[in-house]
Formats: sequence, C-alpha cells, structure tokens
Amino acid sequence: MTLDTASGRAGLADSAATRTIVTGRRAGHRRRHAGDRGEQRIAWGFLAPFLVAFALFLVWPLLHGLYLSFTDQSLTGAGGSFVGATNYIEALGDPVMWRSLGNTAWFTVLSTVPLVLLALVMALLVQRGLPGQWLWRLSFFMPYLLASTVISQIWVWIFNPQIGAANGILEALGLEPIAWLQNPDTNMLAIVIATVWWTVGFNFLLYLAALQNIPETQYEAASIDGAGEWRKLFSITVPQLGQITVLIVILQVLASLKLFDQAYQMLGGIASETTRSIVQYIYESGFVGYRFGYSAAISYVFFAVIVVIGVIQALVTRRRREHS
Amino acid sequence: MAPPIELTRRRFLSGAAALAGTAFLASCAGLPGGANARTLQFWHLLSGADGVTMSGLIDGVNAAQTDYRVRPTVLAWGEPYYTKLAMAAAGGRAPDVSVMHASRVVGYAPGGLLDTWDTARLADLGVDASTFTDAIWQKGFIGDDLYSVALDAHPFILMYNTEICAEAGVLDGDGRLRPVTSPEEFLELGRAVAAVSESHGLSFGYLGDGAQMWRLFYTLYTQHGLEIELPPGGPAVIDEDAAVASLGFMQQLLDDEIASRSADYQSAIAEFATGRSGLFLTGVWELRSMQEQNLPIDATIIPALFGTPSVYADSHSFTLPHQSSPDEATRDLVYRFVADILKGSFDWAEAGHIPAYLPVTQSAAYADLLPQAHYAEAAELVKYDPPAWFTGSGSRFQADFGAAVQNVLLRGADPAEAIARFRTRIDQQLRTPNPADPEGAGA
Repeated sequence: MTLDTASGRAGLADSAATRTIVTGRRAGHRRRHAGDRGEQRIAWGFLAPFLVAFALFLVWPLLHGLYLSFTDQSLTGAGGSFVGATNYIEALGDPVMWRSLGNTAWFTVLSTVPLVLLALVMALLVQRGLPGQWLWRLSFFMPYLLASTVISQIWVWIFNPQIGAANGILEALGLEPIAWLQNPDTNMLAIVIATVWWTVGFNFLLYLAALQNIPETQYEAASIDGAGEWRKLFSITVPQLGQITVLIVILQVLASLKLFDQAYQMLGGIASETTRSIVQYIYESGFVGYRFGYSAAISYVFFAVIVVIGVIQALVTRRRREHS
Repeated sequence: MAPPIELTRRRFLSGAAALAGTAFLASCAGLPGGANARTLQFWHLLSGADGVTMSGLIDGVNAAQTDYRVRPTVLAWGEPYYTKLAMAAAGGRAPDVSVMHASRVVGYAPGGLLDTWDTARLADLGVDASTFTDAIWQKGFIGDDLYSVALDAHPFILMYNTEICAEAGVLDGDGRLRPVTSPEEFLELGRAVAAVSESHGLSFGYLGDGAQMWRLFYTLYTQHGLEIELPPGGPAVIDEDAAVASLGFMQQLLDDEIASRSADYQSAIAEFATGRSGLFLTGVWELRSMQEQNLPIDATIIPALFGTPSVYADSHSFTLPHQSSPDEATRDLVYRFVADILKGSFDWAEAGHIPAYLPVTQSAAYADLLPQAHYAEAAELVKYDPPAWFTGSGSRFQADFGAAVQNVLLRGADPAEAIARFRTRIDQQLRTPNPADPEGAGA
C-alpha cells in the first residue's frame, strides 16, 4: 500500500505523467500503471539481496534446524535418521538442560536489574551532576567496546584467588579471600559483576540520549514553581523515561538470555553446574558431544521459552500503555 | 636521469608472466625437499615448549630427505582441536596425518573418522609391536585394527627441588627422594618439605581445571589395583571405597600447609618455578620450562601409595584422519614421516616426554638424560582414561569430573557425594550412543 502511494506520487512528478494529465485521464492511468510496475521491479531489485541473505542465513537454517531436531544427526556426518520426538522427550527429561535454563533465567534476573538501574544512575549523574561530562561518557561506555575474550581475561585476573584485585580489596577490609570463580556460591555473581561492568555502557548511552530529549523548559517551569531537585527528578525525569526504560528492559532481557561467551571463557567450562547457560549446553551438545540433532532440539525448547517471555513482555507492556 | 620505460600492455603482460614463472620456480627451489617433494598436511595441537620442540623435529625430518615436506597446522588444545578434526574427517578432506591423544581415538574410530594403519607397512619401516611397550602399542588398537601410533607417553609425575628437599631431610644417600609407600608417609613427606619451604611443601594447581584433578585422582585410584570401567549403555563400574579414599587423600593434601587449597594451574607453576615449594605434581610436559628456570630439580614417578605402582598418562599419537580418496603415494610418505619422527624422537625426550619408540628410550644417551631416566619406568605403568566415546584428554568427561569434585578440594565437601554426582553424570553419558556412530554401524 505504501509502495503504491509513493510510486503514484512519483508518477505525478514525472514529466511524462504530467503530460498524460493534460491529454486525458484514461491514458494517464495506463501510464501510471506502467510506471508502478517498473518501480516495483526496481524496488524488488533493491530488496532482493537482503531477501536472498535472509532466506539463506535465517529462514533456511531455522527450517533445517527444526528438521535436524527430529533426527539423530551427528556433527561428524554420521546418523541423520528420523527419530521422531525422541530428542524432545530426552531434552524435557534432561536435568542438565533444566538446570542450564534455570541458570540462564537466574543470570537474566541478576544482571538485568543492575544493568538498568546503574545505567540510569550513571546517566543522571553525567547529565545533571558531574563536571567533565566527556570523560565520564567515555569511561562508562569504553568497556562495551571490548571483546568478550578481553574482558574475560581481565576479570579472570581480578578474581584470581591468590593474586587478584578482588581478594586484595577483601583482605584490605579484613575479610576472608574467596575463590570467586570456583566457588559455586559466588561464580554466578562474579560473572554478573563482569558482565555489568562490560555492558552497562550501552544502556547508559540510551538513557543519556533520552535525558537529552527532555525539554529544559520543563525544568525551568518547575524551578519557577519552587520544585527542588528531587521533586524534578521524580515528577519530570523519571516519568519521561518510561518508554525508554521499557525498551532497555526488553533489550536487556534478550541480551542476558544469550549468556555464553564470557561465562565459558571465565570458567573454562568448569563449575558448570551453577553457571552453565542454556546456550553453552546447546554448544556442548552439538560441538563437543557431536549430537547435532539433540542440540537442535534443545535450541527449539529455548526458542519456545523466549517466545513465551516475549508474549508476556508484550502483554505487560500493552497493559501498562492502556493503563497510562 | 634514465629515460622512463615505455610500458605497453603486451610488454606488461609478458613481464608479469615471466615474473610469475620465476617466482614459481624460486618457490619450488626453496623447498627443503626440492621440486619433487610432496607436501604432507599435518595437524597437531602442541603449543608452547612442546610446539617449539615439534617444529624442531619437523624441520629435522624435512631437511633429512627430498621426498616429502611436512606442512604443520597448529590448532588450540582441547575441544577446538577435536571438533575441527572431526569435521574435517567427516567431510573426507582431512589432513594427511594428525596428532591425537590416544585416549580420544576410541570415540573417533567407530564412526569412520579415522583410517587404519597398515601394520605390515609400518613393520617394513621398523615400527612394530617389538619397538613399543605392550601397554602403549595395544592402546593404538580397537579390535584387530591399528588406529594410532604413539609418539610418547606423557605421565603425571612428581618433580622436586633437590635443595629444598635436602634441607627437609627427605632425600636418600643418592640424593633422590626417599621411598614413600603409604598416604600417611606422603603426608609426612609433604609436611617435612613444607616446614622448610617459603610457601607450601607441594604445588598442585587444580582450580577450574578438570584435567588436573582427574590426572591425580586416576593415578591414585588405579594404585588400588583397579580401573574404572565404562561399558556402553552403563552403568559405570567405579569402586566407591577406592574412589572416596583417593579423593579423600587429595583433600588431605590440600590443607593450606602441605599444598594450597586455592591454586590454579599457573599459580602452582609459578610457586614451584620461583623456588617457594619443594614438590610439584605435574605432567612431564612442564619439565623443559622448569629446567629453563635453572632450578635444582629431579623427578620421579608418583609413589605407589595404595599398593600398586600406577600412573595416569596419555600418549600423543599419530592418526590418519579419514580421507575419501587418499593418494597412495602421499600415504606412503606419511608412513615414512611417522617412522622418521619416531626414530628421531630423542629431542622429544629432552622436552620431558617418554618416547614410545623403545630404541630411543633404551639407548645409552637416554639413560644419561636426567631427570627423564628417573621416571622412564612410568611407560610400563601407564593407565589411560577408561575407554568410552566421551572420555580422554581435553574431553568433557574430565571437565565433568572437575565440576563434580572441585568443592571437595576447595571447600571440604563430602567425597562420597561428589563421586555419586560424577557417577550419575557418567551413567547419563553411557546411555547415549556414540554420536560419531549413533546407529552403531561401526561397532
């Protein structure tokens, strides 16, 4: 519909089309239809590379993966027989898969809260409180630019039980050192800390952009009415950040569900009972255990979980919007 | 000033062709093997000091003949290596020869990922059962077929700092570690050395490293005269008493006096290499880097503490990853290459490994090589991972073991519970068919 309207307007602007208006309505229609078809062809031409890539790298793997999940296909090329729902039945009864899903959910909860709240506080401080804004923006965003391999190495050193800075701080405070990454009580927390440090800059940037969109006149008007800084914060700033907060939470939940690389690298696959994420289990089943079919089945179980989370989020967001 | 060259299109093209031809000839002439040398693609996973030593061995065999030239590709140790090797073999376009841990071969062979060695062709080159210890030669077989030819045995050993141990009074008249025959005696030895060491008596790094925990555990477990058995379909045969005793002993060692309760692999190396501990439980592959520290060191097999001399080990072994249509002339040269490396593996011994090829370890030069000769008997005592499709060096089996028992060592958790957890995980794996051969066609 949009395409037709746009091409109709373009046809009017065309000199040939302008002549048809002068010479007769019927002829004008014919020419405009011919123009529509030509422009549609051009549009499809522009779309084609994307559509090919989309079909090749997204639609085909999705369908092929779904097919694989019903086979005993191995990474080594062996197998490939249709086994029905066997993989799904095994996955649903596999305690390691459920534990991995639970770990992923727990990480998502633990990381999303500070990644949203800290980003907001940091953005507020930079926007309204701290001098030397450029330095703070740079410092807060810089870790986000690092590769996961780099941040993993940095934090493995920081959390080293014998020479790491984390235990150095604990000992300076008179506390007992902790084997952060090896202790099942603390290793998930250690990954959350490293992840927050690494990725909070992105949310910070989104909040900063949103803060800059709040008109200064509102603050001025509030000042004239005698509002203090806290009053302005809770009556102007926070309500105006509602939409961006919803967006950040959605993006953050999706990002946290993808937990794999930093945890895998920081722990070397060990202590995995408390930190093995579902993505890591998919990788282990497919690429280490060579069970492609089973790995595909777990992927689709995870896919179903994400769909459920997405629907819940959509419902909550709609209710919020209707309520407001 | 020289006049500018008038460059026509024809002159440019003929010049370029001449240059390309010269470059081609030059590159052929530059090969150590000469223009007729065949290139052998060789994948291995040896890095660090071992990688340097292997490069030296390859340079040696390349320079010694004109028929082949080996081109090595080095990939990261562990999961990445084995995944890539499996995929290359599955596609039938694998390298001509590769190094695998002998313990991993059993997971690869039934699925057709490996081609078999022709024992007659090897025998013609002087490589047969008589030139290996029985345990190491037999490890290359699955059924009647030979799938791997070992380059070495690399056991877990006990290194010690002779100065610190002398001060602790734990050396005998020959300056070697006094014999120890029970867990209690070993604990006493550890305490005596700890008393004169700057930090701990013994260095053992294990945090986050399932392989390290497994190496020591399986050494101790097999010293009970037992081996873990993993029959397809399960359940695993694990002697609970022996497993708990082995793990309990490890727990006693890591008491922050004898050995640190929270040392990872690198910390343990650093502790021993800087002379702050007197004993070091490690693999033979660390010998060269320790020698480079100019420490006064000697080494021995890990004492038989539970009755039976035995030691965890694995072997770097040559395998033929499956090729859909192998070139017989190239394969002939692969046989020669492997035989050449085995015969020249004295350098490999210098790096700490025990060469599998007996004429090397039985030579007078090897007897003079210290401390290697002091632990050479380990080649007779080696115990590999229990065979199953999911076990072996760098496998998830070892990581799973680490995940199950780390808390026993780090925080004093119950060894029996850890063994039960490990058993549950292994039984689950045993119920899963070998993914390289899910229909059991190769069995």
